[in-house]
Amino acid sequence: MSDWEPKIVSFLCNWCSYGAADLTGVSRMQYPPNIRIVRIPCTGRMSPKFALAALREGADAVWVSG
Amino acid sequence: MEYAQAVPLKYAINPDECIYLQKGKCGNCKDVCPADAIDYEQKEIRKTINVGSIILSSGFTPFDPSKFDNYQYAMYPNVVTSMEFERILSASGPTHGHVLTRPKSSKKKDAENVKTPKKIAWLQCVGSRDMNRCDNAHCSSVCCMYAIKEAVIAKEHVGDDLDCTIFFMDMRTHGKDFERYYDAAREKHGIRFERSRIHTITEVPGTKDLSVRYANEKGELRNEVFDMIVLSIGLESSKQNIELANKLGLDLTPQNFCKTSTFEPVATSREGIFVCGAFQGPKDIPQSVVDASAAAEAAGAILAQARNTLTRSPEVVPETNVIGERPRIGVFVCRCGSNIAGIVDVLAVAEYASKLPYVEFSTDNLYACSQDTQDNMVQLIKEKNLNRIVVAACTPKTHEPLFQETLLNSGLNKYLFEMANIRNHDSWVHKNNPELATKKAKDLVRSAVSKVALAAPLAEAELEVNQTAMVIGGGISGITTAKSLAMQGFRTHLIERSGQLGGQALNLYHTSSNEDVQEKLSAMIQDIERNKKITIHLNTELSSVEGFVGNFKTTLSSKKKKKVLEHGVAVIATGAVPFQPDEYCFGQDSRIITSLDLDKKFMTNDPMLQDLVNAVFIQCVGSREPDRPYCSRVCCTHSVHNALELKKRNPKMNVYILYRDIRTYGEREILYKEARAAGVIFIRYSVNQKPGVVLSDGKILVTATDHVLGRLVEIEADLLTLASSIVPYKDEKLAKFFKVPMNDDGFFVERHAKLGPVEFATAGVFLCGLAHYPKPIDESIAQGQAAASRAVTLLSQKTIHTSGTVAKVNPAICSSCGVCLSICPYSAPSYLDEKARMFRGKAQINPVLCKGCGLCVASCRSGALHLQGFDNDQIFSQIYALSEAG
Repeated sequence: MSDWEPKIVSFLCNWCSYGAADLTGVSRMQYPPNIRIVRIPCTGRMSPKFALAALREGADAVWVSG
Repeated sequence: MEYAQAVPLKYAINPDECIYLQKGKCGNCKDVCPADAIDYEQKEIRKTINVGSIILSSGFTPFDPSKFDNYQYAMYPNVVTSMEFERILSASGPTHGHVLTRPKSSKKKDAENVKTPKKIAWLQCVGSRDMNRCDNAHCSSVCCMYAIKEAVIAKEHVGDDLDCTIFFMDMRTHGKDFERYYDAAREKHGIRFERSRIHTITEVPGTKDLSVRYANEKGELRNEVFDMIVLSIGLESSKQNIELANKLGLDLTPQNFCKTSTFEPVATSREGIFVCGAFQGPKDIPQSVVDASAAAEAAGAILAQARNTLTRSPEVVPETNVIGERPRIGVFVCRCGSNIAGIVDVLAVAEYASKLPYVEFSTDNLYACSQDTQDNMVQLIKEKNLNRIVVAACTPKTHEPLFQETLLNSGLNKYLFEMANIRNHDSWVHKNNPELATKKAKDLVRSAVSKVALAAPLAEAELEVNQTAMVIGGGISGITTAKSLAMQGFRTHLIERSGQLGGQALNLYHTSSNEDVQEKLSAMIQDIERNKKITIHLNTELSSVEGFVGNFKTTLSSKKKKKVLEHGVAVIATGAVPFQPDEYCFGQDSRIITSLDLDKKFMTNDPMLQDLVNAVFIQCVGSREPDRPYCSRVCCTHSVHNALELKKRNPKMNVYILYRDIRTYGEREILYKEARAAGVIFIRYSVNQKPGVVLSDGKILVTATDHVLGRLVEIEADLLTLASSIVPYKDEKLAKFFKVPMNDDGFFVERHAKLGPVEFATAGVFLCGLAHYPKPIDESIAQGQAAASRAVTLLSQKTIHTSGTVAKVNPAICSSCGVCLSICPYSAPSYLDEKARMFRGKAQINPVLCKGCGLCVASCRSGALHLQGFDNDQIFSQIYALSEAG
């Protein structure tokens, strides 16, 4: 097993998934610290270019949730 | 500090226990407090305030079950109250949300034996509906629902194999969408419901497990062992409440709740003093919120003339123009006590931030949100001439407005601000990995800094609020809203589709507290007919609605003509209709009638009521069925009250009520008790085995299985009343006009089931009465007042501001393709007029309608659209900033 860890960039809708990520914290649930969250006002704001840019800039995965 | 949710969330010294205050020694807390917040000199201050009205919202006290020796709450560690179980389920509770047994035991040996329970039981009606062992005859209204909720959440926490059983008498899930929750708990979550009242709990010798003995519905005796038993304790008035009422000279009910009347549900017996929440009677959160708004309305109405005479306006700091300036960013990293600093190396993050591009200043704070930090921040912004701010702390969803206020106070545009969420998204969720959590915090701060560097000051559209209100529906709640709005000083139009005001209340005889509905209703109607601020439009419907909050334009159409009405707010009070039964031989015999028909017979003193021998009621006709999986809330009380009325008119009459669960919630329970005392016979049936009704030789024969005898009984009914359900209009046209949602049943869906029960998510549109959910008159009136109250918060502002994070078009690039027009859910984009001076036919965005979702921006093929505050360059810079970490 290598010790490689993926880098994940996530785009979360302000109204649902971002709030859910907040609640995850309030509930003290634990998850690996590989995720970096970018808050967007709605997944309607999501553009394919954002996902491509993240991958090009070295992200191993992109997660859009909303 | 008694509650983790206390506002303000600050510690206080209990002077009775403090050694320093008692003996002058110790003083440890003063020495260790880093904020130097301890002040032993503070004294109780008595103030006299002159007020025009008073609102009592002093709540309830949970019933104390330790006086019940048969439940041994004080002795057995695994018998807990529902309030304690709430804390056990809570992430901030004593077990951090893990469901564990023996939470009360402090013995070391017991503490080692703490285990995850496999079987939990809830016992309903502890301290409610009980005159034998306590004096609480009332139903506490909320316990059935909270017990189901606790059982469902317990299963979520422990796992699906947790065995949950609820022992109950009548399942009272009469609230909106509660019946569906009950159905799901039973069918989807596998929670067991046993209709049995447990007499005694005993401990299994040698263990801390609990044994109960009960008879199930078939009458078989059972012994069952549980790991934990939750007592669903009721609500009662506290001693302090009773003292307060006595001091103020207020009448109480026999149950010691504050006495109010059906038609003035938040007014106490003393003029100018109002009541809301559970001091008025046991009730749940939505009803308490409705009451609170209603009490605010009632208290404000008598003071309307004095509105704004005591307001002090805050000093507005003029905005500094930062356009063209090089970014000078200030970064504030919050420790949040130890919430962040306990995991993340806050000093390292602040140090790191100070080296990022354009950062002029960075520091750490114990609590960034505290008042002294805020004041300090204003000073620093001015001193260091900062023009962009990043706060690395908790979530912008709760704290962004607070920090934006600080920016405004220091003369900065509030959109020159960004938060890095290093608590909820970092320290709290990576507590075992401080090193990587610190690295993540740095990344999040860098990302926020790169975004805020590109932030521009944004303008908020100001819009005038038309001071006129429109109320749709002239039933009892619409009438109440119109009257309340007029009393608050606003011109109001009341629209009624029929030729008469009053709605369904016109069909009702007496309220459950024996007030004459027709007498009160005609007084209400006369009252608003005389009111010069109210215009009544009968036989009128809506044919179109344009505009938005503050500026609606509605076309009204009546037989003769069409008329355009301009208004600032709209209240939907369109009501509901009685269901016409399609079973139990309804329509085949004039003696088979609905509850409203029976009220009519009472009103007209129908002579047929005199000679009845047997009167039968069947409950839940059309309610709690697969087609209408909701409880109509009012029918149990209505039938019980009408049964008593029949008994009053002719005590010799046999009256039978065939029911599934009797839902006489709150103090309505007293009526149920009276009915049983008066000899009304209650026979329970199940939905799988409904009563049979046959017409034979001119007789109405009703058959049902008696749940006590376990045998089929046949009653020859002289009058059969069907308690038919309340069905909504499913007015899709109206829903489309105001862009408001409806649920599967056709009732309108409010902004928030608990906290926004009288308004819609659509700004400026409000809701009350049966269109929301079935409810009795007192609740309809309270909701009508509450809707007016919420509407006044808007109307009393002459202008309102919309958000600055809205889309904007660069018309020079726009290709007029129209994608934004077709894709926007809020109709915000439009084409510039053909007669416009420039950019004819290009898209433009109405900032008032735009919700800032960015759908149009992502869809724009020309790149002409920008979402201010979340523009492309800002999001790209965040993505680039995240990659720089390597």
